[in-house]
Amino acid sequence: MMAPHPLTAALLLAATASPLAALAQSAPESVMQPPAGGTHWSKEVPVIASGAWNGPRLADGQPDVQGFWSNTISNHSNFTDPQAGPPGEPSDEASLPREQRAPSRVSDPADGQIPYRPEARALQEKFARNFANPTAPEYIEPLARCAPAGVPKSFMWHGYEIRQYPGYVVLLFDSGSRIIRLDDSPHMPKRVKLWNGDSRARWEGNTLVVNVTNNNGKALFGRYGDFMSENARVEERYVFEEGGKRFNYVATFTDPTIYTRPWTATIPARRYTEADEPDGWHYDVHRVNAPGETRHEHGERICVENNGPFGGGAVGVPLDGPIISR
Amino acid sequence: MARQGLLAIMAAAAVALSSASVQAQEARQIPRLATGHPDFSGIWQTLSEADYDLEPHAGRRDAPPGPGVVQGGAIPYLPEAIAQRDQNREARAKEDPRLKCWVLGVPRGVYYPAPFQVFQRENDLTLVHQFGHQVRTIATNGSDHPEEAGQELWLGDSRGSWEGDTLVVDVVDFNPETWLDRAGNFHSEQLHVVERWRFVDPDTIAYSATQEDPKVYSRPWTIDLLLHRRRDANFQLIEDYCYTLEYEQYYPHKDGQ
Repeated sequence: MMAPHPLTAALLLAATASPLAALAQSAPESVMQPPAGGTHWSKEVPVIASGAWNGPRLADGQPDVQGFWSNTISNHSNFTDPQAGPPGEPSDEASLPREQRAPSRVSDPADGQIPYRPEARALQEKFARNFANPTAPEYIEPLARCAPAGVPKSFMWHGYEIRQYPGYVVLLFDSGSRIIRLDDSPHMPKRVKLWNGDSRARWEGNTLVVNVTNNNGKALFGRYGDFMSENARVEERYVFEEGGKRFNYVATFTDPTIYTRPWTATIPARRYTEADEPDGWHYDVHRVNAPGETRHEHGERICVENNGPFGGGAVGVPLDGPIISR
Repeated sequence: MARQGLLAIMAAAAVALSSASVQAQEARQIPRLATGHPDFSGIWQTLSEADYDLEPHAGRRDAPPGPGVVQGGAIPYLPEAIAQRDQNREARAKEDPRLKCWVLGVPRGVYYPAPFQVFQRENDLTLVHQFGHQVRTIATNGSDHPEEAGQELWLGDSRGSWEGDTLVVDVVDFNPETWLDRAGNFHSEQLHVVERWRFVDPDTIAYSATQEDPKVYSRPWTIDLLLHRRRDANFQLIEDYCYTLEYEQYYPHKDGQ
């Protein structure tokens, strides 16, 4: 085994809050806790209206939103009660009255619940019941195996970077990356199903509107096992605040095979800049090595467990031999 | 009269010829950023057999024949390193890191026979490789390698600079886990790669990489190959995380399984 990479440490750090830590055989002794409360996690979800963009633009006319971003309310432990902790391991705040924690990420319907069909709800609940003590491979959260975090979990998992180019917005996450095409070319053929789907987008004022199809539904939304199926369509709206310091990720999920109606998630994010202190979760960067330089850069984003067994090893999934024959 | 007519035709032909060649020349001009530097944006792929074996080889069960891409033909291994290469070669059907979907590293990702996309800004290039969906950033902002050495990165740390129209990239700080091809050619953590990227024409890049590794090679050695623009209609990368294949079957939730 190699020395733990910073990303390994970060992954383990997030896992220590859950029984998955038991699977992390090489967990370093002194793992920092993920930032919780205080300046890092907020209870508030700001309202950001779609409208005109008066901020800086790139040469090709796109609003310039390049840089480092991270979500403001919590990680992916719990989708609908973001600050209550993962299954079987309630956070300290979980015992407080509900209104003292951040609201559900489900912003529509108003009850904050995903409108599952009964059979889909049963599957999600089965995953949640088995999460703490996975006795079968399907109860391991795929991100614990370094799977791409997918839509929408990528926006609840570590800070990420937006880079823009003529015709493209590129999102670099710690687990997976997305190339979003700014054109109306046809989507991939339906039979091609992907962890991050296939994205086509356009700018409407301050809002990047992305249609995501070809989803494989495998990434799950978090540790409670919330999910979409491979029939889901997602319309994402990235609504950027005047001044460019925040945006809300507002995504509508349509999937008649497992939901009774379309529903919408809202995940708030804020920008990180050189004025922020680097940390191992939201803003895992170092200073660019040049005279007088103040900018930050991120190291390579490779989940070391891509390259060896992690959670899967605990339930007998062999991951040390050839996976492909091409 | 006849003679004048002939001259007129010749003159017209000459004008037509020269304007055609001007047009041809314009069409062959390489893409450039607003700063004037070459713009390598696009989707690229090698046609070479480099990933099968960097050295010249006849066809065999697991490789098509190839003329080799190593200048001089052979990689100058130190005598004590040859055994490791032979051992790798013997076990290649199981031990090639590519079969385990590990990150391919530098330079192997560039000549692995799958497309990769370059996104370029003034201050950096971002390479997204379809295989493994690995992402590499080449800084072109005048910065040096990070002061923190010994991170043993999978893709190394890449710093680029321009020599005229050639992008020269210095790559250091590797781990020893990646191979250079399917034939077991390898390196240690002391690998140092210098790449040179240069347009031959708007749709072709001449790529070269010089490898230096005092633990494994007796001297630096260089590979040369071409990268071609993928011009298939509406072509795009298709994510190929690869290492997920082993467990994809378990998701999303399935009834009664």
